[in-house]
Amino acid sequence: MIINTVTVIGSNGTLGTGVGAIFASFGNAKVYMVARNMEKAKDSIEKAALSVRANAICENMIPKTYDDLSFCIKQSDLVIETVIESYDTKKIIHTEINKYLKNTSITSSVTSGISINKLANCYDLEKRKNFFGIHFFNPPYNLQLCELIASNYSDENIEDSLEKYLSAKLYRKVIRTKDKAGFLANRIGFQFINKAMQYAEKYSEHGGIDYIDNILGCFTGRNMNPLCTADFVGLDIHKAIVDNIYENTNDIAHETFKLPKYINDLINDGMIGDKVNKGLYLKDANMVYDIDKKEYIQRKEYNIKFINKVIEQLRVGEYKNSINVIMKDNSIEAEICRKMLIDYIIYSYVASKEVGYNLIDADTAMAEGFNWIPPFALLDLIGKKDFIEKSIEYYPKCEKEINDLVGIDIKSKYRYEKFLKAKR
Amino acid sequence: MEKVYVLGGAQTDFERNWTKEGKGVIALLKEVIEEALKNTNLTFEEIKDLNRKNKIAIFIGNFCAEYYIKQGHLGPLLTEVNEAFYGIPSARYEAACASGSVALDAAMTKIRAGDYDLCIVVGFELMKTVDSKTCGDYLGMAAYYDKEAKGIEYPFPKLFGKLADQIYQKYNLNLDRFKRNLAQIACINYDNAKNNPNAQTRKWFMDSRQANYRGNLTNEKIGNMLAISDCSQVTDGAAVVILSNEKYALKSGKNNSPFVKGFGHRVAPFLFEKKIEESKNNKYILPWTRQAIIDAYRRANLTVDDIDVFETHDCFTSSEYMAISAFGITEPGKEFEAIENGTITMKGAKPINPSGGLIGCGHPVGASGVRMMLDLYKQVENKAGDYQVKNVNNALMLNIGGSATTNYAFIIGK
Repeated sequence: MIINTVTVIGSNGTLGTGVGAIFASFGNAKVYMVARNMEKAKDSIEKAALSVRANAICENMIPKTYDDLSFCIKQSDLVIETVIESYDTKKIIHTEINKYLKNTSITSSVTSGISINKLANCYDLEKRKNFFGIHFFNPPYNLQLCELIASNYSDENIEDSLEKYLSAKLYRKVIRTKDKAGFLANRIGFQFINKAMQYAEKYSEHGGIDYIDNILGCFTGRNMNPLCTADFVGLDIHKAIVDNIYENTNDIAHETFKLPKYINDLINDGMIGDKVNKGLYLKDANMVYDIDKKEYIQRKEYNIKFINKVIEQLRVGEYKNSINVIMKDNSIEAEICRKMLIDYIIYSYVASKEVGYNLIDADTAMAEGFNWIPPFALLDLIGKKDFIEKSIEYYPKCEKEINDLVGIDIKSKYRYEKFLKAKR
Repeated sequence: MEKVYVLGGAQTDFERNWTKEGKGVIALLKEVIEEALKNTNLTFEEIKDLNRKNKIAIFIGNFCAEYYIKQGHLGPLLTEVNEAFYGIPSARYEAACASGSVALDAAMTKIRAGDYDLCIVVGFELMKTVDSKTCGDYLGMAAYYDKEAKGIEYPFPKLFGKLADQIYQKYNLNLDRFKRNLAQIACINYDNAKNNPNAQTRKWFMDSRQANYRGNLTNEKIGNMLAISDCSQVTDGAAVVILSNEKYALKSGKNNSPFVKGFGHRVAPFLFEKKIEESKNNKYILPWTRQAIIDAYRRANLTVDDIDVFETHDCFTSSEYMAISAFGITEPGKEFEAIENGTITMKGAKPINPSGGLIGCGHPVGASGVRMMLDLYKQVENKAGDYQVKNVNNALMLNIGGSATTNYAFIIGK
């Protein structure tokens, strides 16, 4: 597949900027960066160059506005829409793209949840086969995951060529997923985060938000605590994603996608996270939202003993010992931690079976899209024996899934070591 | 004299930042040792057995752990990795960026002398414990610190920037073309690194425009004509190579492994100015680097024609440029030919740095020599995966310390 010219619609959004940079750098394509006005378009080009640390690629990017849309689309081999997550807005854009798109060009949406089949209907039949969901993760230069979602109308040969282009030319880690709510990585990742939010409510007397964030810290295989991640993503975005999954799916984890009331309250009060410097945390003031008091309080210094033990082991590279502490410690905190990790493995399996085409893609999704320990690598570390024992105890209703999961011969291609940080 | 076999080893993923992971040197060494033992089918039990007979030793290459991680006395570190290492003769070897090679050399010497059957050579450096300016200052200790580094910000890019100046003056090169040639060296290394799953820059973007875009916000000049894209990386990492004598190789069925065919070790005048002064009338700009390579060829009874792949010390693009003629791939002053006609690329007749080298794969100073030897092993054994060069019989590495002050070359093959 030869892609010489690309149009990025919504280039001034964080993801639009990052995606434009990937096409302009690795893809060495001419990229029309389309934003609401020239100033924003030019600004997105500067930011794009910095995002891949290469000013030289500015030459590949041309600022444009929506007034130039027909010109840009007519010229393009690939059009990628990255506007806000609203079906109505996206529908307008794709209807426009349809008018000007060459029959041979690819068209796509970067969406984290809107149905690709539904959006495909914006296109005439002969162009519909060229439409795909291409889900990049933020920031794309650091997170290489790319979910490729075909619609019922997509042409398989085009899909093959597109996958090859994304992986060989743009250095993306591509996984194909079905057109199901949230696709794969977000389905797994946001289930974990939302469940952490629910746990924060359940254990609000123990400290709530930062209590749970401490228990699920970087030592459990991530760069950022999950509720800090929610603030980073934006609580409004989080809500959109989990609501969409809650409404459109009905699997064993259904209730864990239910947004806790306090999150809704925060969103209604405009406390949507890092974008406005207030959300679950007031980071500048070292404060955290107290779910019961409904106000921000000073963050506490938790001294949770099992965490100290885990970190001590990780610092000297004793990974097996560190997981043994998590699996065997008697404290309530360790129990919450292992419940969450076990659930993460089970749900990755369940989601991957439903949404993915290869079970092992759950590993790629979480490692390359979230920088979290890949679920099957975590299973390797825990060991099947300990996993079965605890998982049946905690999730007796999932016995079938658990038995299926341990029964299959699946080996992670990822190593777990680098994901497990000797940090809180 | 005893033949020295290279049985394999391991390296860590050079992309990792161990400080960010909150982990220290013991975690680093545990991972790389366990991986190396797995890759060479060596067990802790076997190590204990060899130790009972006093037939195993450990050689640690490291530049300045005293500064980076505040740890001296590095010989005994492996005793914290596993009890099997209790009692094994072990010491640290240092020659700046050639620390890995001096550790390899010591191990080879002990095997040749018949003292040990098996030697474990470990190279490591954890450099991301400090900010980049402090890191640059520490690295300045590899030069004559008082005269070449004290009070100077980033002394090494400046020294190798001077080398670039000297090369183009000595051979009367066209400056623009020379700069493009240096940029091309950077690009080749970045490209090769894309195929190496342990390379630090495997996800990074670099192309010839960016590499030629010197003096820009994203490619600042750092040493005369050299910019960031001309430099190797600040890297955390470790590498292990396991060497043995013929008896052990035979006993363990590894006697078809590559063996060391030749080595060269030469030390040039410490001060860069004196190097240039000394080579004024020599056609090679760094004659002691060339001599180390000639010594390796002589000992191996091979010439450049016999070498199928090279790993060189591209701490800066100017050092790889100089190495091209030092290897004998071109005449001195004609290095640009091998760059422009593709000779040194993966598909060329004389590929240099299929691993990505120090620019692409990374440069944890004390580990680099060992990492290069490991890559020679992989190439000769056809185990380099996506960065494998076809039909490799003999491979050569050049590892330098300081401003090409310590020069080490090794040739291995079958």
